[in-house]
Amino acid sequence: MKLENRWRFNLMGTVFLMVTIVIFGQLVRLQNTPQAQSFLEQSSLYAGTWEVVNAPRGQVYDRWGKLLAGNRTVYEVGVVLANVEDAQAIAFAVNAVLEDDYERVLELVSIPASEEAIYAMIADNVPAEKVDLLNDYMEERQAAIAAGETPDGPSLAGLEFRPHLARSYPEDALASTLLGFVGQDKDGIQGYFGIEQYYDELLAGNSREVWLPNDPNRVEELPDIPPGTSLILTIDRELQASVETILDEALEEHGAEAGTVVVMDPKTGEILALASAPRLNLNEFWDFEEIFPGETPFNRAVSKSYEPGSVFKVITMASAIDAGVVEPQTEFFDTGSIQVGGITIRNWDQRAWGEQNMVGCMQNSLNVCLAWVSKEMQADLFYDYLQRFGFGHTTGVDLAGEATGRLKEPGDGDWYPADLGTNSFGQGIAVTPMQMVMAISALANEGQMVVPHVVRALVDGDSQYEVHPQFSASPITPETARIMTEMLAETLENEASRALVPGYRVAGKTGTAEIPTEGGYKRDITNTSFVGWGPVDDPQFIVYVWLESPSSSIWGSVVAAPVFSQVVTRLVVILNLPPDSVRLALSPEEAEQR
Amino acid sequence: MKRRKNFMQAYRQTPWRKQVQIIGLFSAVLVVVTTGAGVYLQVTAQAATLGREIQFMQDEKQQLQQLIEDQQSELARLTSAHAMEARALDMDFEPANPSAAMYVVVPGYAGRQPAALAPHPRLGGAGDIVLPPAYTMTLFDWMAGLYRVFTLQPEGGS
Repeated sequence: MKLENRWRFNLMGTVFLMVTIVIFGQLVRLQNTPQAQSFLEQSSLYAGTWEVVNAPRGQVYDRWGKLLAGNRTVYEVGVVLANVEDAQAIAFAVNAVLEDDYERVLELVSIPASEEAIYAMIADNVPAEKVDLLNDYMEERQAAIAAGETPDGPSLAGLEFRPHLARSYPEDALASTLLGFVGQDKDGIQGYFGIEQYYDELLAGNSREVWLPNDPNRVEELPDIPPGTSLILTIDRELQASVETILDEALEEHGAEAGTVVVMDPKTGEILALASAPRLNLNEFWDFEEIFPGETPFNRAVSKSYEPGSVFKVITMASAIDAGVVEPQTEFFDTGSIQVGGITIRNWDQRAWGEQNMVGCMQNSLNVCLAWVSKEMQADLFYDYLQRFGFGHTTGVDLAGEATGRLKEPGDGDWYPADLGTNSFGQGIAVTPMQMVMAISALANEGQMVVPHVVRALVDGDSQYEVHPQFSASPITPETARIMTEMLAETLENEASRALVPGYRVAGKTGTAEIPTEGGYKRDITNTSFVGWGPVDDPQFIVYVWLESPSSSIWGSVVAAPVFSQVVTRLVVILNLPPDSVRLALSPEEAEQR
Repeated sequence: MKRRKNFMQAYRQTPWRKQVQIIGLFSAVLVVVTTGAGVYLQVTAQAATLGREIQFMQDEKQQLQQLIEDQQSELARLTSAHAMEARALDMDFEPANPSAAMYVVVPGYAGRQPAALAPHPRLGGAGDIVLPPAYTMTLFDWMAGLYRVFTLQPEGGS
């Protein structure tokens, strides 16, 4: 190298060295400026997002695997504020398609984009059909722009649709009071009423917040979030539909305000159908307050207690027979009135029925006779039996919002000696239909009372777990249960009740209870009930019917008993129960045993 | 010795040989760096591609889950109790009357069975996967096992 050129190389080297030093110096300076933290935070905004991954809610099936509650895709509609080109166009389109308020949407969409205001949600739970309308328009416009054309029409740029799953009820209002619904409030998504509330935690599964990096080098497999537990119910969808139809027709025919029908298997406690009116279309649960104003219970079978009236005589008579106080043939001379605790109790027709036995007392539903029976038992024994039958306590049925009813007992501040008489025929005591069904199960199941339940099995992951029947208590002996069943079958046959079902021997009792008001009991406003079970020799079902304030007739024998008959007529077909004669002919051993 | 000395002197005095040496060294470093960078780029690009594929598959999985849920609900809606009843009535079916029904005993038929959407949980069933101890035991367990084998006294018999 020539010496005269060396200074040039040194100069170049110095220049490059200085530039390098300046670049490094600047890098070090930037790392330590006051804005460095802000730059870091800005970069983290683009690094990825935290998203809550919700587990799909568990599904609900009937006992045969028919879907009653599933999930469907709905959309959250919103705008990325920085991308909005024409706020008015978006407000107009959303107003036209989603029927949302134009001014509200325009106000939301017109929010200036900033670090704090990035995205604005316009609507949620929007069905796919409506989103498709907006999406198609946007895609057409986008395609035109991509093809280099100038598209006609206003721009909906900025509008975004985020899909997620929401609850769907394919049967609309069927079994709605039993299922409940899923809604969203400030605490998030949760179940309300029925199964949805009672099993909310199981159905909801576990949601998890996960980091979704934008850098593909950092992407990781999303955690596998299993869906919520699915439930298989005890109810039979076809039977449920039939019972609801029968109930609705009865309400219309008799001008009743509301009604409830419960069908249960007395051997297992499985609720086969539970119909209550009014009902709600669960896919339109926002109508809830309109259909159930004020304190109106959602599911009357478990949440509304009432004075049951004469159906309660079954419990009184079963207790007395079990205690050995009376027998079916015990004689009683009815004078038409009896004094209990200082009040005079009379029969429903104010008549004296003369010489009777216990079968006659039940057949003619004599208040005086039953009050005498409870007096013979005395208060301690009578209320001990009512406790054993579970009154005054919840049944433990797996439905939300169960009421306890009200059982006043000696020693309570509001109990009077007269209550011993009135309670014997179902006045002055409040029970729920579910409590009555559970108590009656003792009579239909050899003295053993079963806990009613609506979930037959749980499906969690890859396994199905069965729910086994639970026995609550044995308030009476099997002998008493058989005597009572025979006695009540005989009474129905003797009076040629409208509850009878051709081909099937059933036992049961009507109930007509005046409704207590502020001015006392009113004779023309009643709760009409019927409880029955069968076939008598091997009970497979209990049916409880309750119609509130019917206008066509005030009597349970006229209003509720035919509903029982209609329900059983459908039930035996759906449950494949042959008529007694056929069944006994097909099972000669069984016939011999009986 | 003298020849070697002369060769070294001649080599040092020839500038182009030194330039070749420097260029060769520089080229070697360049090739190593370029190869390293190339491999790094290749691996990074593959990782990024796979990362994107994972992201796409995650999205697709989510969409498929939603589609399955949608179709299950739609199927249930099409076969709902009221829809099926309406279809049956359209086809001139009518609800069965108990008195018109004929019952026949079918030997071995247990009747309609309730839904089984998943198998029942089994405890130690035949289908359960059992890992051999070699996959679960610690080194200490293994050595302790060996010790027991070697110290085991054969039982005497008569």
